[in-house]
Amino acid sequence: MIKSRPIYDNFRIDPAGRAHLLVTDLSRLPVDVLPEFSDVETWVVHVVAPGIQAQDVATKAFRAVADLLASLGARLAREPVGLRLYAVGTEPFLWDVNNVARAAGLGGGEIFLKHAGSLKRRVYCSHCKTMNEDVTKNIVKCRGCGANLFVRDHFSRRLAAYMGVAVDAEVPGEIPQVEVMYP
Amino acid sequence: MIARIANVSAISETIKRIVLEAADGSALPAGAPGAHIMLNIPGPRRVWKNAYSLVAFGSAYEIIVRRVQNSRGGSAWLHDHAAIGETIEISMPVNLFPMARTAQKHLLLSAGIGITPFLAYVPALRAHEKKFEWHHCCKLADAPAFAALLPPGREAILHTQRKTLDLPALLKRQKLNTHLYVCGPAKFMDTAVEAAQKLGWPGAKIHTESFGGATGGAPFRVKLAKSNIALDVGPEESLLEAMENAGLNPPCLCRGGACGECELPVLEGIPDHHDHFLSDSQHKTGASMMTCVSRAKTPELVLDF
Repeated sequence: MIKSRPIYDNFRIDPAGRAHLLVTDLSRLPVDVLPEFSDVETWVVHVVAPGIQAQDVATKAFRAVADLLASLGARLAREPVGLRLYAVGTEPFLWDVNNVARAAGLGGGEIFLKHAGSLKRRVYCSHCKTMNEDVTKNIVKCRGCGANLFVRDHFSRRLAAYMGVAVDAEVPGEIPQVEVMYP
Repeated sequence: MIARIANVSAISETIKRIVLEAADGSALPAGAPGAHIMLNIPGPRRVWKNAYSLVAFGSAYEIIVRRVQNSRGGSAWLHDHAAIGETIEISMPVNLFPMARTAQKHLLLSAGIGITPFLAYVPALRAHEKKFEWHHCCKLADAPAFAALLPPGREAILHTQRKTLDLPALLKRQKLNTHLYVCGPAKFMDTAVEAAQKLGWPGAKIHTESFGGATGGAPFRVKLAKSNIALDVGPEESLLEAMENAGLNPPCLCRGGACGECELPVLEGIPDHHDHFLSDSQHKTGASMMTCVSRAKTPELVLDF
């Protein structure tokens, strides 16, 4: 395994924090997270679909991840020191949150991440720099340049994306079997 | 490295500024804000090794020395004997108190002679147009000397009474992108760090520097298992100094309990910890100690050295 692939552990409330904020791109919190964080201010992304409601614990529900991230940036710019930020959800979301938080001045010991939900990946095309969202297969056709990208286990925290490299660069058209790897 | 004293000037009766140049006229190794050098100060019976923050660096190093009451030798010699033209052995600069480059604002808290590292910070902060706020605390009698040292401008505030500095309120109103730096006597640093931790400041944003933690104490005996020798540590010297006086060359860097370089495993006995390096739980286990500042709770210690 390539060492750049993130490992998520030790997701607990840090009792040293003065205040706590939990954000997720899921519409409800995973059951293993819920009990400990039931009293924590929680932001969720409300999926507008019949029969799906934001969890009751939510203090705030957003219509889209982009809305949540924008509000998070504004909140962190006003927030005094002592906040602990927790993010639960898909990997691209976790690292988008991480980057918003880092830009606001949070660092190690103030941000905690936990992967939950889909394993889908954001894939960065190393040829045309296009970001390909919601990739669940081992090979994806880049929506920027059309190259067939092999999704490597090589993760960039800065881009919050995995690296994609043309799989048939040696012999054009020779593409291995496409499988769902990141459901 | 041999340095020549290029200038000595009194800031007050007990505070002197000393300017050092390379004795052979060559360029000095580069300094940095927060860095310190160690001076080998000749005494009547032995050499004192004291660490001093660089308050300015470039073509010359500047240090500021306070004459310590009941000085164990170093600062008294610098005050009484240091004269222009004298040579003295110094170490390369070491930086154990660097500024956090990612911080948008720097909150500086100092007391007494703990002012020195921040005197080197300010030009760098101004050059990089970084926001900062500096609160310096001192006794009323020292106020004129420190007022003269503090940079002009609204950022630096001098406190001579406890009530003018509301630490919890100050620490509470800082934004997430602020880093805290504390330098001064151990009690001052403990108070500031505890107040910050209580308000949720993460360890990575609290930076501390302390010198002169070795204040002496009850004498004790130490056995060095590997070297197979026993030493008596007197009331006026540190364990590290006792080892050096015995001709040993134990590891050390800051000599103030901050850097962790001098850590030695404890095989028997209970150490009396005075350092800022080990965690509380490490202090409780007593498996190792900092020889520069820590002493013994038991009459004898056995160390793995």
